[in-house]
Amino acid sequence: MPFHLYQIIVILIAAVMIYQGINNFIKGINHPTVLKLLVRIVVWGGMAAVALFPSVTFWGAKIIGMEGNMNAVILTAFILIFLMIFKLLSAIERLELQLSELTRKEALKDLKKN
Amino acid sequence: MNNQAVYIVIPAFNEGKKIAEVIAETKSHGYEKIIVVDDGSQDGTCKQARESGAIALCHRLNRGKGAAVKTGIEAAKMLGADTVVTLDGDGQHDPRDIKKMLQKIAAGWDVVLGSRLMNKSGMPFVKVVYNHVGNFLTWYLNGLWVTDSQSGFRAYSRKALRLIDTRSDRYEYDSEIIREIYRHKLKYLEVPIEVRYTEYSMGKAEKQSLLNGIKTVYRMIWSLLS
Repeated sequence: MPFHLYQIIVILIAAVMIYQGINNFIKGINHPTVLKLLVRIVVWGGMAAVALFPSVTFWGAKIIGMEGNMNAVILTAFILIFLMIFKLLSAIERLELQLSELTRKEALKDLKKN
Repeated sequence: MNNQAVYIVIPAFNEGKKIAEVIAETKSHGYEKIIVVDDGSQDGTCKQARESGAIALCHRLNRGKGAAVKTGIEAAKMLGADTVVTLDGDGQHDPRDIKKMLQKIAAGWDVVLGSRLMNKSGMPFVKVVYNHVGNFLTWYLNGLWVTDSQSGFRAYSRKALRLIDTRSDRYEYDSEIIREIYRHKLKYLEVPIEVRYTEYSMGKAEKQSLLNGIKTVYRMIWSLLS
């Protein structure tokens, strides 16, 4: 089965990302956990699978109930991206609050000293 | 009202040139208990404030006006304040107006809000427009209509100090106070205040520009959704 250029690129990138994940997990770099590794394999493996077997998107679209496989892929991608962005923004906000609290506590130490 | 239990909280960011003057002017009206919160300034504001006889608290990092005011209020509560008045560190607010705010607090009001729009003389037109936009958004998102939702010149009773709990760090803090008033059903009153628009205060880069205004609106909306 002849491969298109985009399929080769996606599979190569996915392979590199999965290899990096497994390598980091084995060497203990960046606090790896089994869950993080599994998520990486599912996400990048999924992209590689879609690149290798594009017809799997028709099956996905049928399950979701959407007309057209590309619409299903794009909608799923959008939802996942929005969820990630929302989670990131919430995490950033929590960090900002904690940073302000720490800054405040340190400033108020001067008051307690005096 | 006994000025002994009144604390003046002044948040300041890079007001090294002005803060000594603001402190001196406030003291000249009989208010000795002044807390200046330096919000990570790079121009010696904290040192100036300390040398001018204020209680100077210094944020190591710039966290925003709201964070600085909250630090000042926490400090005032630790020191046993009955009433806290907040005013800006750039000399825009006239400490003469503190007296009428304290009179209202003594009469039983929980929060007294200084309003520039009740006395618009000298106020740049663009600021009047921004204020109206800010007021509309504050009313729409927080449920309370006030004539100046973005004023930093406010007075709080002991009850208000106990109940108000804010999370906002930056300019959206002023709107969050309005929401807290609504949430806790605090008795509030608006009084006209005089504002001095000088070349110095209008030229400050850190002030509410259109871009900062847009960011403030975004943060107001985000705080409701998250």
